[in-house]
Amino acid sequence: MILARNSRSPGLLKLGLVVASIALFLATALVYVLQTRQQAFLTATIRSSGWVAYQAQLEFVKTQAEFAKLAIVPSTLGMDKLMLRLELLRSRLPLLYDSDEGRVLSDIVDTRGPTQIFETRLDQIIDEVGKLDPEDGGTARELKRLSQELDPLGEALQTILMQSVAYNQEIFQRERALAQRPGALPLVMLFVSGACLAAVLILQARRDRMRLNDVREAQAALAAMEENLRAVIQAVPACVVVADPDTDKVNFINPSAAALVSPSLDDPAWPRFVRAVRAAAGEPDTRRWGALSMGYARSPGDIISLRGSVGAVLWERRPQQLIVVVDTSQVRNAELQVMQAAKLATLGEMATAIAHELNQPLAVIKMAVANARRLLDPLPGGEPVAAKLERISAQVDRAKRITDQVRRYGRMPTEQLLPFSLRHAVELAAGFVAEQFRAANIVLSVEAGVPAELLVFGEQTMFEQVIVNVLINARDAFETQELRETQELRETQELRETQELRGSQESREARDNRLAPATGDAPPFAAAGTARREVQVSIRQVEERAVIAVQDNAGGVPEDILERMFEPFATTKSTEKGTGLGLSLARSVVRDMNGTIVAENVGAGARFTITVPASLINASRDAA
Amino acid sequence: MNATRSMLICDDEEELAHELGEYFASLGWHVALAITAEEAIAQLRGGLAPQVLITDLRIGAVDGRQVVAEARALPPALCPALVIIITGHVMHNVTAADLDSDFLYVKPVDPTEVLDDIGSFLAGVAPPPA
Repeated sequence: MILARNSRSPGLLKLGLVVASIALFLATALVYVLQTRQQAFLTATIRSSGWVAYQAQLEFVKTQAEFAKLAIVPSTLGMDKLMLRLELLRSRLPLLYDSDEGRVLSDIVDTRGPTQIFETRLDQIIDEVGKLDPEDGGTARELKRLSQELDPLGEALQTILMQSVAYNQEIFQRERALAQRPGALPLVMLFVSGACLAAVLILQARRDRMRLNDVREAQAALAAMEENLRAVIQAVPACVVVADPDTDKVNFINPSAAALVSPSLDDPAWPRFVRAVRAAAGEPDTRRWGALSMGYARSPGDIISLRGSVGAVLWERRPQQLIVVVDTSQVRNAELQVMQAAKLATLGEMATAIAHELNQPLAVIKMAVANARRLLDPLPGGEPVAAKLERISAQVDRAKRITDQVRRYGRMPTEQLLPFSLRHAVELAAGFVAEQFRAANIVLSVEAGVPAELLVFGEQTMFEQVIVNVLINARDAFETQELRETQELRETQELRETQELRGSQESREARDNRLAPATGDAPPFAAAGTARREVQVSIRQVEERAVIAVQDNAGGVPEDILERMFEPFATTKSTEKGTGLGLSLARSVVRDMNGTIVAENVGAGARFTITVPASLINASRDAA
Repeated sequence: MNATRSMLICDDEEELAHELGEYFASLGWHVALAITAEEAIAQLRGGLAPQVLITDLRIGAVDGRQVVAEARALPPALCPALVIIITGHVMHNVTAADLDSDFLYVKPVDPTEVLDDIGSFLAGVAPPPA
């Protein structure tokens, strides 16, 4: 709006200037015409003045002629004629200086001085002539004297006439010169100067218009830049808030700020936010990033960490306060997690060291038990002690299992992920537990739906351990299930024995074709307790990932355990069997491989699903 | 029992060395003990000539591997026929051969297992004189 006002006012000014210049031009032309006319009038007057001088001179000559005639033959008629002439002459004299023409003439030559003195004399002469008698003999002489007395007047009039003539001649010459040099010249000059003025005005206007265009372009560029800046402010992930420092009223927020506090500027949460920021900042103008670090309760119980700066800013021509903050809650949480991880790593190292140190006394105990047993052997009645020694030895084995797991668990993850054949590793792991599964009457089948060239990335030994742990877990689940069901199934003892017999037969078959998928007459996953024990391992590739599923039919995992299955020491097993670290270690290893492991109850048992990134490239580096 | 067999046990864990030594001594072995690697090396150089060398790996300033190296460097008459390492450390992908030994056990180990392995090894490598 200011821009429009600015553009209109020079237009008016320009129009005013143009009108004024045209008016001035017309006025100048008018003045010129007037002056020319006045000059013509003046010239006419001057000519008339010449006429006055001439007539006075003419009257003088006529008077002198009358004097001369009378001097020869004085007569009454002649006397009267002379009187008339004298009076005419007398009347002419004041006209030389006391008329329009005479006043003009008196500017050129002094007409009053030389003539006025004769006016009185002329009056006297008129009187004297009136008294003269034409019959008198002395009259002629008297007339001659009077005529001579008037001679100086004749000279004076002669001078005036000559000067008047000379002046008129001068004027006449100038006029002729003017006529020769066209009188339009000054007018043309006037026009030219007017045109110049107009041109200057037009040029100036043009330049002003160009300047105005420049200013407009600059203003457009400024507006575009402002628009861009606004877009940037809208896009930044930081919360940008402009608030009135006196009323705490918020005048501007960007989407991040809207998401943080409220999308409505009139929300009472905003003044509260501004006051909280001001209270936390301490100083009103601290541009340094991080000068503002505060906790803000978005709603009761939802407290977030904010970090940023507060500064004075000129916003829409008013001094305002600019608040820029970033929600650092996640960073804070990440920091806490890192700290926690570091703490866990330290704990892991400590646990590893402790496990190692524990192995020394365990070794000594183991040796001592062997020696004690040897010493006891020849003695009669030592059986109860031997049983105790056996228990000691078994407990040492248990402690060893725990320390082994702890050492594996506490091991730092390898930085480098090496490719290895997934199928190969799973088969090795299955092979490792095959004997135990046979002993426990469990049919283990591996269904490898991927080529041997499919690679996963990690440490193969550790990954094999993961599969082993999951398989052992399945095996133990059957034993737990068996213990649970022993009471219930006492009456069906006979049936069970038949089943076990069949199971052992299949076990023998499996020995010959250890890893072949299970085939058999019995349905693979019948109801628990009545079906044969089965664990199926399947490997599939889903896009860029490999999915390894281990499914048993051991009755599943209680829901409460399922949730914390991968936490250390969350075990359902008897203390003789489990350390409570196997699945926790499995999760740790899978996580190191950028994969996941989940457990769920499916059908008549539990299913563990391991998902890890897999690739078919670098097949030449297939692990041996 | 066969002809008298001899053994050098090197472990800074004194009780363990004693228990292990007692176990084999009770079976008729000549057992020498060393608590440090230096001691073990001195005994080996001094012409102890044990048939079996059992050593820990981390035993003070001088490593058990050095004891093994010293033993392997001895002239054939003094060189132990069998070198066994019993260590408290779990090392991934490390085999007995990597440490230039014949058997590698991780503590705690049952001495009967060690005895069985020694028996079968010596029976194969150096059949005792009839």
